[in-house]
Amino acid sequence: MEPEIFNERTDLTELNQAVDQIRQTLSSIIIGQKETIDFLIAALLADGHILLEGVPGVAKTLSAKLVAKSIDASFSRIQFTPDLMPSDVLGTSVFDPRSSSFEYRKGPIFGHIILVDEINRAPAKTQSALFEVMEERQITVDGNTYQMDEPFMVLATQNPIEQEGTYRLPEAQLDRFLFKIEVKYPTLEEEIIILQNQHQQKLEVEINAVKAVLSIDKIKKCRAIIKALHVEPKLIEYAARITHETRNNKSLYLGASPRASLAMINSAKAVAAMQGRDFVTPEDIIKVAAPVLAHRIMLTPDKEMEGLTPADIVAQIIQKLEIPR
Amino acid sequence: MRFLLFIFIFFGVLKVHANVVGPDSVSLKTVIKLDSTKVDLRKFDKSKLDAFAKEADFKYDDAPVGLSLWDRFWRWFWDLIGHALSNKMSGGLIKYLIIIVFVGLAVFIVLKIIGADLKIFSHKSQIVEVPYSESNDNIHEINFNEQIEKAIENSNYRLAVRLLYLRSLKKLSDTNLIHWLPEKTNQTYISEINDPDKKREFSKLTHQFEYVWYGEFFIDRENFNTIKDTFERFNLYSS
Repeated sequence: MEPEIFNERTDLTELNQAVDQIRQTLSSIIIGQKETIDFLIAALLADGHILLEGVPGVAKTLSAKLVAKSIDASFSRIQFTPDLMPSDVLGTSVFDPRSSSFEYRKGPIFGHIILVDEINRAPAKTQSALFEVMEERQITVDGNTYQMDEPFMVLATQNPIEQEGTYRLPEAQLDRFLFKIEVKYPTLEEEIIILQNQHQQKLEVEINAVKAVLSIDKIKKCRAIIKALHVEPKLIEYAARITHETRNNKSLYLGASPRASLAMINSAKAVAAMQGRDFVTPEDIIKVAAPVLAHRIMLTPDKEMEGLTPADIVAQIIQKLEIPR
Repeated sequence: MRFLLFIFIFFGVLKVHANVVGPDSVSLKTVIKLDSTKVDLRKFDKSKLDAFAKEADFKYDDAPVGLSLWDRFWRWFWDLIGHALSNKMSGGLIKYLIIIVFVGLAVFIVLKIIGADLKIFSHKSQIVEVPYSESNDNIHEINFNEQIEKAIENSNYRLAVRLLYLRSLKKLSDTNLIHWLPEKTNQTYISEINDPDKKREFSKLTHQFEYVWYGEFFIDRENFNTIKDTFERFNLYSS
């Protein structure tokens, strides 16, 4: 009955096909982690960067590599280490004796999908080299500005447990990630399947067999569709209220910035499109609220001592606010 | 550091020693001098003293006590309470009445502080007709029939669908199929319904509401009537 009443305004067929294809590709290799896969796709569609956090061995790097592999785009991997320098990431100018001039050699940051593995192992100096490129999709070296090709997506991983030889990411950099996804342990059933696949040597074969299912043009088209999706004004106000509440919450030392509100709306649009809707509902905003806000806010020391997490506070804020209806 | 500590202790000991030894070594010799000059006794003039005594500024004994109106009220109030309590007939009754009032007040304040639903005391909240614009989020205070009619008259079908949906939520809340709270999402209400048929039907209504309200899809009179029929069927079915 609904299709007769509500004629589709936006053609989401191509987008949904693309989402299904990439979801199928990732799910065939990564057992479980459905939510992580959905957020990875949402970030790709919303033109955002993702930070994957989890203990070692929960397929963070594998997830990021598979996203890159399923897209017909260039891929770079940068292993962040304590001795890594900004020029190792961005590139450097080298003197060419033949022309008696400096020539810029591009660093590994030049690519479409960039996997920054163990991002918290590099010092703040190197991490800050990513500030400009992550926000403005450009880098400035020796007075020259170089634009990144679209799509440009940074997939970073970090381990929350290890403290030895790690550096906490600066707030300014955390704010540049659309989502921080906590990759959790698989369930018992999922782990059995992982072991069976490994035992039958299926995993390696399947990883090698992964082919690009999304072209750069298709990604650009999907992003353009998502940008044009409809958001009712009261829902914009709702997202702003959630962010605003983080600034007045007594449990928080640092609230979220307006960039967080923008990120919430953009990612809610992507989530809505993935569900075949050309408009956002409050559920879409609630779904993305914790992954968007949790890494952008800071708990007060006493709340941290009580064992609360930023995601708990976001949940409390959402429970307190009235749903626009 | 050690040197400083040594100096401090050394001079401290010396001072204590000096204090102990001091009084024994001093002998005082007191010399009292006699004053033999003649003293003239002066007397006060009695008439002048009387004149001063008559002046208002020097009358301290009968100075009026400055009671404000507020103080007078409280004196009257406590006098009244005191008289009432001292009365053998009514004293006991009033005493207990006052205790009940104060205990009741304390319980009320505590309940207000913990945010308890005070409607349990009045069994069912009295329905107060509040203008729609002021009560658009409290489903128990909206006069749905009137507001829906008004929205249809104004051809505001989007608002009419919203009111139809809120009315369905109220029906579900009244029949205890859902527990209404403004902070809950539509999907939460769907998950609260246990009856599979009602859940399916309400999911359809939610879908229609979301398309019209959040999606701002245009609906004409004909489409609105179709949606309205669906809502009315559900309301009949769920009541």
